[in-house]
Amino acid sequence: MPNAAALKVLVVDDQFSVRQMTRLALEKIGVRLIHEAENGQEAFSVATAQPLDLIISDFNMPEMDGIGLLRAVRGHQAIRKLPFILITGRGDRELVVKAAQAGVNNYVVKPFDEATLRQKMEAVLGRLQ
Amino acid sequence: MTTIDDLRQTFFEESAEGLEALDTGLGELTESSSEEAVNAVFRAIHSIKGGAGVFGFSSLVDFAHVFETVLDQLRHGKLAAAPQVVEVLQKANDTLSDLVAMARSGEAPPANFDADSRSALTQLIGGGEGGDHDKGVADDFDDIDFQPIRAEDTEGELRRIGLVYRATQAQYDDKFAAVLNALRAVGKVDLQADIEAVPTLADCDPNQAYIVCTGAIETELNENELRDIVTGIDSSGSWALGDAVNETAAAAAEPADALPAVDLAPSAGETAPAAAAPAAAATQAAEHPEQRDATSGKHAATTTIRVDLEKIDRVVNMVGELVISQTMLGQMFQNVQGDPEGRMAQVLEDVFLHTRELKNAVMAMRAQPVRSVFQRMSRLVRELSVKTGKRVRLETFGEGTEVDKTVIERLSDPLTHIIRNAMDHGIESPDRRRAVGKAEEGTITLLADQRSSRIVIEISDDGAGIDPERVIKKARDNGLIPMEGHLSEDEINNLIFLPGFSTASGISEISGRGVGMDVVRRNVQDLGGRISLKSTPGRGMTIQLALPLTLAVMDGMIVKVATETYVMPISSIVECIRPSASEYHSLLGTRGALRLRGAIVPIVYLAELFDLSASRETTDESTVIIIETSEGVRVGIVVDQLCGHQQVVIKSIEENYGAVRGIAGATILGDGHVAFILDAERLGEFAKYPEFVTARREQYVQ
Repeated sequence: MPNAAALKVLVVDDQFSVRQMTRLALEKIGVRLIHEAENGQEAFSVATAQPLDLIISDFNMPEMDGIGLLRAVRGHQAIRKLPFILITGRGDRELVVKAAQAGVNNYVVKPFDEATLRQKMEAVLGRLQ
Repeated sequence: MTTIDDLRQTFFEESAEGLEALDTGLGELTESSSEEAVNAVFRAIHSIKGGAGVFGFSSLVDFAHVFETVLDQLRHGKLAAAPQVVEVLQKANDTLSDLVAMARSGEAPPANFDADSRSALTQLIGGGEGGDHDKGVADDFDDIDFQPIRAEDTEGELRRIGLVYRATQAQYDDKFAAVLNALRAVGKVDLQADIEAVPTLADCDPNQAYIVCTGAIETELNENELRDIVTGIDSSGSWALGDAVNETAAAAAEPADALPAVDLAPSAGETAPAAAAPAAAATQAAEHPEQRDATSGKHAATTTIRVDLEKIDRVVNMVGELVISQTMLGQMFQNVQGDPEGRMAQVLEDVFLHTRELKNAVMAMRAQPVRSVFQRMSRLVRELSVKTGKRVRLETFGEGTEVDKTVIERLSDPLTHIIRNAMDHGIESPDRRRAVGKAEEGTITLLADQRSSRIVIEISDDGAGIDPERVIKKARDNGLIPMEGHLSEDEINNLIFLPGFSTASGISEISGRGVGMDVVRRNVQDLGGRISLKSTPGRGMTIQLALPLTLAVMDGMIVKVATETYVMPISSIVECIRPSASEYHSLLGTRGALRLRGAIVPIVYLAELFDLSASRETTDESTVIIIETSEGVRVGIVVDQLCGHQQVVIKSIEENYGAVRGIAGATILGDGHVAFILDAERLGEFAKYPEFVTARREQYVQ
């Protein structure tokens, strides 16, 4: 049973406001170690620079989008098993299919509250303490 | 602590940026349908939609979604960026920015507010789909067979394998980067330029540059697999890996322990040349070019930060105070004895220089490109085109010109007025244009340019220009000018800036209520700017705004009148002269006049105006400062003495006291005294309406 306070989570979104909303939700869940990145490329260098437990990434970003990041993570020997939750918008069903093919662990639809996020995280990481 | 309200505010700021990007992107689409522009537009709209969803603005999300659907089609080439398509998109953009504005102000959009735009959008994609999507939007995609994947234990069998790369300049090639890429794909590479692994200078070939990198890779692969990868790409033997080099890597991590690294040099690279690296920098740079790109890209993404304007203003204020202190220091230094070598003067000179640089740097922080204002104008032109039935194209130049944020914010109103006027009165109807042999489509040009310490904004149109006959008639009808008398072309053109002037025969919805150009002029003057106008009947007209780059600091001429010191803005000074007594004339009904190269210039005695002395005495020291008001009127201001040119920090007296006609503000001089900054525009008015001055003077006396 993973301890939320010990989880290292990387939040990826190019919009500061949305990124902070995700952070707020994570903080309510009890996550304390939160990294942030503005796009896929930055996220990839963060993810390869230190051990992480989870990436929560938006899809739509400049430089490298969420699917690009997912593929890069899955293709990287050292972090290819890193759990990955994709944030999607309403109506982005094709995207979810694409992400599933690329090996996403779960997805969460905007807007989401901490209960939803928690549920999505627990489906991937197991029950959080 | 950040609250959701703060974040909502941030979201609106981001949305404003997004809308700007959208505007720019759509503008580019009109010219060419580049993939980049489409993507930028798509991303902007997607971000707004996403954020709106997070913050619960559902009407915004719904509309953005339809918009996005259309853009998605465009992005995938299912829809061409034809002019009529872009037009629909631009209208949708207008609707979207209205929706954002409503969400921001908290008002609910009226029913069916976006209906027109929405149906135009859905029609582009063959109808229905956007609406369809809307209804079918669910929070989860239950119809998709998606099973969350439980995370596995990610701790694979990672091992650390040492790496060494050695090459001379001649041997180094692009295979280096290729190997590095391949290694990165299978593990975490940590490779550094290794200066320590270089032999002594005596062993180096001076004609060679040496490249030595040491480090390690963390990977699940074993050494042999790794070796296969490396030699598959680069078989020259420049690479060495394995446990043998582990120590090198360790040694490299501790530069103090240089000995083993040097010792290891021959053993590690069997085929490596006698390695040495005088050019460590070159090594670093050559290390992995593609990673360098990645990091510089990352830098580009994080080199901007959002700073509270208040914080910047605090710095601006402090720099203002610094400028004052520095000036005081300079003045004190004048009286200091005993700096024979001029060293103090030298240091002081440096302080002046740095203060000036600092001031410029801080001002640059407040500066913003005029692009945002210009873009608003393009929307205005679009809307007015529809309302007036005139076809008008807006061309903009110099959008990147940077001006103080306050100036930018207050530029929008005057520009809107001027463009409304140009659209309504300037540009002719398509029929009329065809009849006079012009292109049916009119052009309005917006230009921004920095000229010395001013920014110049020009709004030109190729319409009918100002009809002098009509202007004079109108002005006479409205009782603005006497029935008789000849007016110069400039004077006629300037009549349109008079309050209550309007040449439009009927009052139209767009402009023509007679409150326009005089307000524009007031706005521009309040910014410390000047407005001027050129018109060629039948060919069009140009209105030029000259605005200060910043509102906080200005160049001033220090003048003395009786016991008082004043500051005259350099920007309004045309020349300073010291006339002989015979050149002053006292004309009846005026404050006096000066004959200046054949022209009569009305003069104002500052001492009299501010009640410092009742007489109009002039001495040999008396100087007349010729100023020019924005109307082009020249007025001479009589002062006792010119004391020099100085940068002054403008302090408002309006905030603490109240507006005083003829005074624009106050400043602190080098000697610590407070001096008033004169308002050239108002001084000009004093000369024009002497009876008014007397009345004012009585008020001053009271």
